[in-house]
Amino acid sequence: MRSRDFPGTVEAAADAEAWLASESGALGLAGDTTFAINLCVEELFLNAVKHGHANKATISIWTEPDGARLEFVDDGQAFDPTAAPAKRLQGPGTDFEIGGFGTGLVQKFTRRMTYRRAEGANRLVLEFDAGPNKNPDLRAVSAE
Amino acid sequence: MDMNVTETAEGVTHVALDGRFDIAGAQEVDGRFAEVAEKAKILVIDLSKVSFLASLGVRTLMVSAKTMIRRGAYIAVAGANEGVEKVLRLTGFDELVGLYPDTAAAAAALTSRAKEFESRKS
Repeated sequence: MRSRDFPGTVEAAADAEAWLASESGALGLAGDTTFAINLCVEELFLNAVKHGHANKATISIWTEPDGARLEFVDDGQAFDPTAAPAKRLQGPGTDFEIGGFGTGLVQKFTRRMTYRRAEGANRLVLEFDAGPNKNPDLRAVSAE
Repeated sequence: MDMNVTETAEGVTHVALDGRFDIAGAQEVDGRFAEVAEKAKILVIDLSKVSFLASLGVRTLMVSAKTMIRRGAYIAVAGANEGVEKVLRLTGFDELVGLYPDTAAAAAALTSRAKEFESRKS
C-alpha cells in the first residue's frame, strides 16, 4: 500500500491526481481504472475542501486480486457519499441548476464504496475493477 | 488546457480543446467559453484531444449549452473518448446536447437543423 498526505486546498487535487497517475502506472492498472481513480479523487477532493472544509486528506492506493482499492480520508465535516443521491439531468429543458454531479460520478465509476466516520474523519474505501485496458491512450496520457 | 476557436465560411464555430478538463482546465477556459457561447450561432466542441473530464469541466460545458439553447443557437460535442463520453452520459449532458463521433458529423447535423428551422420561418 502507498499513502500520501495532501493539504486541504483545491489546488492540491491536481497534485493528488498526478501522484495517483504515477502510482497507477507502477501498479499496472488499466487506463479505464486510472481514469476512474482520477475522476473519483478530484470529486472527493472538491467535496471535502469546498463543502467539508477539510484541512487535509490522506490517500492510499493498493491492489487486491479482484481490482484496485483507494482509501480517501479527510478531516472535514461528516459526509457519506454512499448515501447521497446521484444527480443527473433529465430531459432537454434548460430550467435546471448546474452543479452537484460529482458524487453521482463517484458512485457510478466505482464498483463499491464503503464509508465510515471515525476519529473525526471521513474514511471512504473505493473499489475499482482492474479489467483489460480498453483504451491505451488513457493510460498514456494519465501517466505523463 | 488549450482552447482553439475557429469559424468556418458556413458560420460554424469550432472550439477544439486539448488537455485535461479538470479543475485547472475548467478555470483556464471558463471565460472564453462564456464569450463564445454568447456569440456563436452554431457551435461544435471538439473533445477528441481531451484525455480527462470531471464535474467542473461538465459544468463549463453545461453553462455554455444552457446559454446557447436559451438564445436559440445550436451546440454539439464531438470526438469524446470512452471515459469522457461516459461522464457526459452519466451526468445527463447528452439529454441537452448531441454527442457525435467527429466534428464533421456534428457540424453537418447542426447546419441541417439550422437550415430546417430557417426554412420553416420563411
